[in-house]
This record gives sequence, C-alpha cells and structure tokens, in this order.
Amino acid sequence: MSGLPRGAANRIVVGGTTLTWAELPALDLPSPAVVVAATATEALAAAWHQATHGGELLITTPGRIELLRDELLAAGFSIVEGDKVQSPSAVRDAEPDRLWLLTSGSTGRPKRIGHTLASLTTVKGDQAARTWLCPYLPGTYAWWQVVTLGLTQPGQDVAVVEQSELETWPVVAAEHGVTAVSGTPTFWRQTLYRGTEELAKVPLTQITLGGEPVDQAIIDQLRAVFPDTRISWIYASSEVGAAIVVHDGRAGFPIAWLGKESPDRPTLAVDGDELVIASPHHGAGLEGAVRTGDRVEIVDDRVLVVGRLNSDEINVGGSKISAGIVRNVLSAHPGVAWARVFGRRSPVVSTIVAAEVVLRTPGAADEGDLMRWCAARLPEYGVPRRIRFLDAIPVKETLKSDV
Amino acid sequence: MGQVMKNQDKTLPEGDAADLREIGFRSLDFSELALRVEDEIGEELNFDAPGLRQITTVGDVLDFIEQLQTS
Repeated sequence: MSGLPRGAANRIVVGGTTLTWAELPALDLPSPAVVVAATATEALAAAWHQATHGGELLITTPGRIELLRDELLAAGFSIVEGDKVQSPSAVRDAEPDRLWLLTSGSTGRPKRIGHTLASLTTVKGDQAARTWLCPYLPGTYAWWQVVTLGLTQPGQDVAVVEQSELETWPVVAAEHGVTAVSGTPTFWRQTLYRGTEELAKVPLTQITLGGEPVDQAIIDQLRAVFPDTRISWIYASSEVGAAIVVHDGRAGFPIAWLGKESPDRPTLAVDGDELVIASPHHGAGLEGAVRTGDRVEIVDDRVLVVGRLNSDEINVGGSKISAGIVRNVLSAHPGVAWARVFGRRSPVVSTIVAAEVVLRTPGAADEGDLMRWCAARLPEYGVPRRIRFLDAIPVKETLKSDV
Repeated sequence: MGQVMKNQDKTLPEGDAADLREIGFRSLDFSELALRVEDEIGEELNFDAPGLRQITTVGDVLDFIEQLQTS
C-alpha cells in the first residue's frame, strides 16, 4: 500500500470515544486472516490495518464464524479472535489486497465473495462533509460501504453504533452530530415505531435505505419526519456492488434506466421478472451480467424490486401474486408499521396469502380493516386471508427481517 | 363464517338455507374459514376439494366443518 488512505484524518466515534483511524488499536495480523470482531472497535481496527498494510482479510462477527470455521481454516485462513490466533489447516500464499465478504446467507449457506478496498469504494467523487452513522454488522457489504467512505473520502466521519445501542441510536446520533444514516427498511421501520421525538432531533441531511426491498410507504414516513432531507435508496449486494442509487424520493427506479449503457456504470436489465445487472463494482469472478435472484415488477414508469424470486411468488389456486406487492399495499396502510407476507398451506386452493403485521399504535386497525384495504387495491386472490398481529418488529442482526 | 363475511363488509344471512353462490361465499372464503378453524383448534384440517362439491348452503358448510372437527 502506498501512503495513508485519504480519509485518515476523518473523525470516528466508537464505543463513546472520538478518535481518528490511526488512533485505533494497532493490530498485527497474519495474512490471509479472518478477524472475528467482537466489538466495533476491533472491526474498524482491522479495516484500517487492511487499508494501510494490505494483505488478505475477511472480517466477520462471532455469531457468523462457527458455520464456516472449518471451511475457512481449510482455505488457508488464520482465524483471529482477540489475542487468540487459530492456524489454518492448509497453508497458502496470500492474495495481495484481497478483501473477502460473506453474503448474508438468507437464501442458504453464506458465500465468500472477493473484493478489494478499491472495488468496495463506490463513492469516488467529492462529497459534502457528513458524519455517517454505521449501524451495520461488521464485515457485511453495507458496513464496508460506510467504512470505505470514512477511509477514503476526506470529510466523511463515521459514528459507529454498537449492536447493543441500536434501540437508542437517535440519542447517540444526536450527541455526536450525525448527519447521514444508512439503514435497511426494517431498521427504519423499527426506528419510526419506537417514536419520532428523539429521531427528529438528529440533524440529518442524508437518509439512505438499502439491503431489502424499499417501498413508497417507508420513504413517505421518513419524509414526514425529515421534509428537507435527501432520501435515497440503494440496491447493492456483495456480488454486484452498489448498482442502483435513486435520489428522487420514489420507490423503484425509472424504467428508462433499463438497458442504458455508460462507462463505469452498471447496466440494468430485466429477464422475465428477474433483475440482471452487469456492474463495474462486481465481486471477483462475477464480471458480465449477473442474475440477481431478485424479482421486479414494472409499475407505470418505475421498476420496483419487490423480493427474492425463490420466495416472493405465492400461487393461490393457480393465480400468482407477489408477496412483495401485497406487503407494499399492507405497509401503505396508515396504521401499519411493518408487515411480512407469505403463503400458507390451506385446503381447497392449496395456498392462500397470509400476513404478520405490527401496528403503529395498538388498535390502529383490525384484521377486517386491513383485508378491506387490500381488497380495494389487489386482486381477490392477493388479499391476505389470515393476519396475525405481532407486538414488535422482528429484526435480525443484519438489520433485515426476511420479509 | 360471520367473521369471514364481515371482513369483506358482507353480512351472513340468518338461517342455514342461504345459497353460498348467492351470498358470494367462494372457495377462497372457505379456505379462510378452514384456517380460522385450524387456528382455533390448533390442528390442521385434512379434506379433499371433491368432498366440497355437495356443499351449497351455509348449513352445509357448518355441518362439514363440524364433521371435520369430530372425525
């Protein structure tokens, strides 16, 4: 590596302490290494080590390592957990500057995707100075997006919220002058559900949503709290990188973007109802068009990403409906804070649409209200026939809820 | 049955003789009713669609569901 990263002087706030990247604890890492970060500080220190020393690195968390430990040791990685280093079962040369990411594993075993700091750095132009909140799990693609901003772009400070602080992040963010927050729709729904009083005190100029399908309702709910803030949604994955960024405050992206080719920008296409992306930010070995496995629906002049192909379609007695579309309709009800839609085995028609819902306030709607709301907006077979009300929004450590 | 109809802003007519087609109670509604019963009794109901062909009135539905629960 040559010289310090351009963001070396940026401020980072971690564990309640403000410091610069160079002031993080110095690490002495083998290469290739897996750093199992128990704290946000350890993860940031490993990222800084990579940016200044190179080497081959994968950062993950204690909750994710066990499933892959043997496989990673056999693939030549030393596993570093605090002061403890477990040696690999097979030794090999390190790939210079290789960063590995694990896919979320929501559709199976997590896969290892090869990147470099450069391929993860998708924001390259000069940016307005911002302080970003980083609520993501260390080592995920979304986490690296915020971290590479902080490492490579002068003026992009980062305030890391520990997983244990997630419920009260607006307080932490207001205290540290956070002006930009990136989170999943589930993260934002949960935040709004907890109340907007503290949230409105955070001086946000940028709100970003990604990692899950983004519907109009969540954008509108955030707009109501932050009328003057830029609200963007981003489609990104370990495989294709940050491929779609939309700033116009609407769900989906303009249909005119399909098939448009320009240098250094991803090319978007739809094959059947699957989103296909050829991206310059792709992971190693994934050049060319990549089938994303995500389902799209074209509504008027927009292309909406509604869910995973292998789980989104519900077949109700031969009539097919997208769970994502039904979820969008439910989520647009003013009384609904969060919804999950799925097929439920049933007599006669084999599967019917069912849903789980969290209301914004108790009694804001009942099953009949929501069924009639859906009946006015969906075909008959798309109306959820059983709706279960939950007391809280379920969220995983990836800030997603498998909707 | 009353709840299924009410959720659609419909009213279940009094008396068991009401014709299902006339009151707009269709296969999806029957499926919903079956799931409500399943949720109520905590067991999955097993029956074949052909067995439903003889069901034409509100009374037939109620008898059929009752039979399933006791079988």
